[in-house]
Amino acid sequence: MRLRNLIYSLLAVLILVAVAQTTSAQALDISSGGQPTITGAVNGSVTGSASVLNDLVVTINFGEVSPLNTNSIVKVTVPIAIRSNQPYQVAVSMTGLSNANAQALQPSDVGLGLQNIRVLGGAGKICTQSTHIIRAPFDNDPATSATVGSSGRVSYPSSLGSLSGSTIILSGPQLSKNNSVNRQQSDGYVFDAIFAVTPQFFATGVSSATLIFSIAAGPNVPC
Amino acid sequence: MPQRIIKLLLLTTCLVLSAVTCLGQSTTGTVSMSATVSKFVEINSGGAVTLTGNSGGGVTTDGVVNTPLAVSINLGELGPSNTNSFVTAQVPLKLRSNAGYVLSMSATVTSSGSTTNKIGAADVGFGLGTITRSGTGVNTTGTDTNATSGDPTLAANGAVNGASGRYEFTAVRSNLSAFSSATTALSGAFIMNAVPRSNSNGLTVPAFFAVKPQFFENGTTTISVTFTVTAP
Repeated sequence: MRLRNLIYSLLAVLILVAVAQTTSAQALDISSGGQPTITGAVNGSVTGSASVLNDLVVTINFGEVSPLNTNSIVKVTVPIAIRSNQPYQVAVSMTGLSNANAQALQPSDVGLGLQNIRVLGGAGKICTQSTHIIRAPFDNDPATSATVGSSGRVSYPSSLGSLSGSTIILSGPQLSKNNSVNRQQSDGYVFDAIFAVTPQFFATGVSSATLIFSIAAGPNVPC
Repeated sequence: MPQRIIKLLLLTTCLVLSAVTCLGQSTTGTVSMSATVSKFVEINSGGAVTLTGNSGGGVTTDGVVNTPLAVSINLGELGPSNTNSFVTAQVPLKLRSNAGYVLSMSATVTSSGSTTNKIGAADVGFGLGTITRSGTGVNTTGTDTNATSGDPTLAANGAVNGASGRYEFTAVRSNLSAFSSATTALSGAFIMNAVPRSNSNGLTVPAFFAVKPQFFENGTTTISVTFTVTAP
C-alpha cells in the first residue's frame, strides 16, 4: 500500500512538471545569443556561452580604462537570444556602479546600445504587421557614436546612466513559430547588446555593476 | 521488484528535472561587468625652449609640445667674454595625471676643469616658474607645491658671495647641487578630470636653468637633467 502511494506521488510530480512545462513552453525566454566578444581591451576579457541553448550569464572585464590603455575604446558585444509565443518586451535593470567621486567611472561612462536584431533560424516568427522596436535612446552602437562633451568627457547617446529601475529597451510581436517545450537552436530572435568604455583620466579604483536582462509580456501588438 | 520500480522512477525524475534545468526557459539573464582604473602620470614637453643671454650656442634639439621631453641645449660661452648677466634656458614641461603626483629631478654636472673654479652643480641655477592649470578637462582647482624657489635669476635667489666673490644661487633648491639624487621639485593634486588621453591639455610649468658668466676655469661642461613624475 505504501509502495503504491509512493509510486502515485512520483507519477503525479512528473505529470505536474510536464504540464507546467507544456503550458509555459516558449512563452517567454531569454538566453545566450552566441559568443560575446571584446575589442580594445588591456587586461580585459569577456566570458559567456556560445550556445543559444544556454542561459544568459556573461561576465565582462573591461580591463584597464585609464590612459594606460591607449586604445580609443573598449567595446563588448553580447548577443542575446529571445523567444516568445506572444508579444514581448525586454527590460534591463542595474545594480552597483555608484562611485561618489564624480571623476571616477560613472554609469554614464559605460555606453549601452542595441543593434542588429535578427531572426534566429527558421523557426523565428516573421511578423508583418508589427516591428521589433529598440526603445529610445538605445538604438545605437555606442562605440561609434561616442562624442566629447563640453567638459571634455566622453558621452554616449545611451549608457548605463540611461537606465532607471527596470527600463524597457526592446519590444515587439511574437518571436517564435513553434511552441517547443525547450529552447531550440532556431526558434526566436537575437540582438546585440553593445557596451563601450572610452579610456579616460578617471579617478583610480575598481568599479563593477550587474545588469539583469528580463523578458516579459509586452504591448499587445499584432503579428 | 518494487525496489526496482522505485529506482527506475527516481532515475526518470532526475533525468526529467535535469533536462528541464538544462534546456528550460528563463525570463532573466545576467551580465556582470567590472573595470579597473590604475594611476597614470606622464610628463611631456610643454613646447619650445627659450634660450636667452647666450653668446654662441643655441638650442640643439628643441622641445615639441605634447611629445616626450628630450631637449638638448648648448649654453654657449659662460666665461667673462659673455657680458650678459645670466644665460638662461627656459624649458616648458607638461604634466598630466589622474592622481596626486610628484615631480622629481636629478642632475649631474661634469666639467673638464681640474680646480674648484670649474663649473660645478652649484653654479647652475634651477627653479620652476609659474604653474598653470588651464583648459578643458583640467582640474583647475587642484593645488600644487613648488619645492624650488622659482626663477633662479631673481635677485632674491642668489648673490655674489662676499668672501669668495663667486656668484651663488642661495635660495632653497635653487641650484643643481640640491638635485644630485632624485629630489622633489613639484607635487600636487590630480591634474586631469575624466577626459580621454586625446585631450591635450594639462599642467604646464617652465623649468629655468641659469648660469652666471664668471671667471670659471676654462673647459667644457656637460649638464644632464632627468625629470621623473610619479603617483605615490
